[in-house]
Amino acid sequence: MMKSFFLSLLVGLLFSKDYVKPTEIDGKKKWKGEGTTSNLESIVIGRCYEYIRIVNPSVGEKNCTEIWEAFKKAFINKDPCNILPSDYELFINLSLHTIPPNKSLFWENNHLLVTSYSDRTRRYMPLCDTLIGSFGDFLNWCGQANDTGFNYDSCPNTEECENNAVESFWKIASITYAKQSSGVIYIMLNGSAIGGAYPVKGFFADYEVPNFQKDRISRIEIWVMDDIGGPDLDSCGRGSVQILEERLKTMGYDITCIDNYKSVLLLKCLDYLNHSDCSIVSSAPSTQRGLVSPARGGSWSRLIYMIFVAFKRSVLANFST
Amino acid sequence: MPLQNRSSRTRQRTVLLVVIMVLIVTIVAVLAAVLLANGMKETSMELLQWKGRGTTKNLQEVILGRCYNYITTVNPELRDKDCQKIWEKMQKAFIYKNPCNITIEDYQPLLDLASHPIPCNKSLFWSKTNDLVHRYTKTNHNFLTLEDTLLGYMADGVSWCGNPSSPGINYESCPKWSECESNPSSVYWKMASKMFAEEACGVVQVMLNGSIEAGAFRSNSIFGSVEILNLDPDKVSTVQIWLMQNIGGPPRPVQLLQCASDPDHADCRLCTNSVQ
Repeated sequence: MMKSFFLSLLVGLLFSKDYVKPTEIDGKKKWKGEGTTSNLESIVIGRCYEYIRIVNPSVGEKNCTEIWEAFKKAFINKDPCNILPSDYELFINLSLHTIPPNKSLFWENNHLLVTSYSDRTRRYMPLCDTLIGSFGDFLNWCGQANDTGFNYDSCPNTEECENNAVESFWKIASITYAKQSSGVIYIMLNGSAIGGAYPVKGFFADYEVPNFQKDRISRIEIWVMDDIGGPDLDSCGRGSVQILEERLKTMGYDITCIDNYKSVLLLKCLDYLNHSDCSIVSSAPSTQRGLVSPARGGSWSRLIYMIFVAFKRSVLANFST
Repeated sequence: MPLQNRSSRTRQRTVLLVVIMVLIVTIVAVLAAVLLANGMKETSMELLQWKGRGTTKNLQEVILGRCYNYITTVNPELRDKDCQKIWEKMQKAFIYKNPCNITIEDYQPLLDLASHPIPCNKSLFWSKTNDLVHRYTKTNHNFLTLEDTLLGYMADGVSWCGNPSSPGINYESCPKWSECESNPSSVYWKMASKMFAEEACGVVQVMLNGSIEAGAFRSNSIFGSVEILNLDPDKVSTVQIWLMQNIGGPPRPVQLLQCASDPDHADCRLCTNSVQ
């Protein structure tokens, strides 16, 4: 009985070891997350030059190859579960640039909307529209111990280990971004998100809010955007948004909160033209010009069928004004 | 006797003076000729001067990065495209050439490598509405413009041109369309537009600017002169035209974008319960 007990214990230990340590495939560890993005170096260096030459030339001269080397140094040839935010310090120092006041946009649970709305620094400059952010946006990466290459097969996700290359990158990037923000601060939250518009544990709550520079911020404006046709789970003065408002007020900030900020709402409505939440008020009736079919034969007459689509006011009405 | 001496001496002096004058003139002429020849030599080694902005710095890195970004994240169906080769073909089309002498044939090798099919009913052409049409397609993924294809994505907002002498690329200036039509940029976009029009199928959209004085449709614009002619009537079933006005005209779906930048305009009031 003791023998079978020890045997089952051994088997149990073996299996538990297997559960904790990922199985090895071809000498490379098999993690649960996606592997390094292919062509990472070309993409990242290209983005770096694109940023300093086209998107935001006010940043000045930067050595993109040097910045890439510093970025790599943070995680290459190391245990991919032991990468700390401070490992990226040299990278951060080389790619730092000022953020204009009143342009900072923080967010949670609406990455694509923020990217669309900010329009590559034209309206706002969220983290993904800074040089630092452009290094990591929508990309994935990790290295491995005793190997100078990237792991293209898999990378550890946050559940497997928190101190992975990507997680630590975003921690230090968020801290840096918050420290450089000034003037009016904008925050876009998702009022339809399950779990609350303001996640009390997240990058924004843990790494950005604590690093706001009180003496350089004039006031803070929160926008709570609901999904079109989605549930209104959180809004200003309610639920998790209220928690955020209280927290910021306690820190001494002047807070405004707006439900479904109109400018962003109009942008969301582009994909939901016929939804009741998106009808634009107008005084004139809509008209449609009939089909115009010229006297040309064959397949060309199909092509030349032109349908003027007037959505609210007619072209004729416009001519008469 | 003294008179004769004086006259002969005067004559000698005159001759001497004339000789010296001739010598000086000859030296000056030779010097001038040498300097002019040198000057001309310098000009042919220099960069040609144009009125438009020069080649974007780090062009290679930007184009390569965009190509890889496109095939990896934007349109992964194209992941087998060879970006390095694509860049080489693009560069070959204009490097070391006079930038007023570029033809569509110069870009044919690039076109062969970088063209790809476009889904039906998604093509959106534009004329004089550049800013608006791209903001629209960036936020609404139902439509694709030329700049959403690989060729367009790589070259959008970038400028380039060659120079006959070393280093073969002109970073100082490039010819504007008004200086010469066959410049590397204009010919590239003509080539790309032709491809985009040829690939279009199903329902095709056109966004025109109804607020320009010169008129919404011009037959000598790229749309009027290249794209519209290359639409294939056997593939395209309908052409829908969106005539855009500045705000103050008929509201259109794209006008929502204009309103996003000016939400308090009278034409942008929303009929919704959740407005602030």
